[in-house]
Amino acid sequence: MNSVSTFETEILAAPVVTEARLPMGLLGFERIKDYLLIANASEEPFQWLQVKDNAALAFVVIDPFLVLPDYQPDIPQADVEFLGLQDPHDALLFSIVTVHNPKQATVNLKGPVIFNRRTMVGKQVVLANANIYSIQHPLAVGEANA
Amino acid sequence: MLILSRKSGECLVIDGRITVKIVRVEGDVVKIGIEAPSDVPVHRQEVYEEIQRSNQQALTRQNSPLPRLPRFAGAPVKTPLAATATQTTSKP
Repeated sequence: MNSVSTFETEILAAPVVTEARLPMGLLGFERIKDYLLIANASEEPFQWLQVKDNAALAFVVIDPFLVLPDYQPDIPQADVEFLGLQDPHDALLFSIVTVHNPKQATVNLKGPVIFNRRTMVGKQVVLANANIYSIQHPLAVGEANA
Repeated sequence: MLILSRKSGECLVIDGRITVKIVRVEGDVVKIGIEAPSDVPVHRQEVYEEIQRSNQQALTRQNSPLPRLPRFAGAPVKTPLAATATQTTSKP
């Protein structure tokens, strides 16, 4: 029994790693196409979008709907087709977080990274309604519990 | 820089696969239509540069400390349901 409990604890503590491909890279990083999406339970709600062949290079990402519950990203039709999104639920969105210091972080809501969750092929999409969203949307760091 | 004169309605062809059409000229605004394969990204330069700068600033090291977000404590994280999802052991 003890060994079973220990095994389960280790599984829970292990990060969930998913391979993800950005055929066009990220803007400014066009040549880097292969990534690992890493989720550690202890780091929620953050995840890592790590360069697959260079663990030193990574982006912190977050579900933009946690940051802005009424976020209404308008994905251009060309990107919907490129990503092969047949249903809104196919889209898995992440916003890149800039951690300025441990107490200050901002989120890019203008250009989310959108994956087709069935294929984990994605693209950094400039939203059709990017003009209404901030590229440095402040994260409510250190605020009192809402 | 190559500079060409075009009239409204005329096109340019780049690399045999990208067509740039001058749709309309109104004062100092030129409306341009671009037909390119879906793997050729096309962006307004100022938006491209803004996101590029943001990405460069966001690039980090995996051992960087993450900010504490009391608001989000315990919030569920979406887990992708891709066939490639695997469990790995954590590294110290």
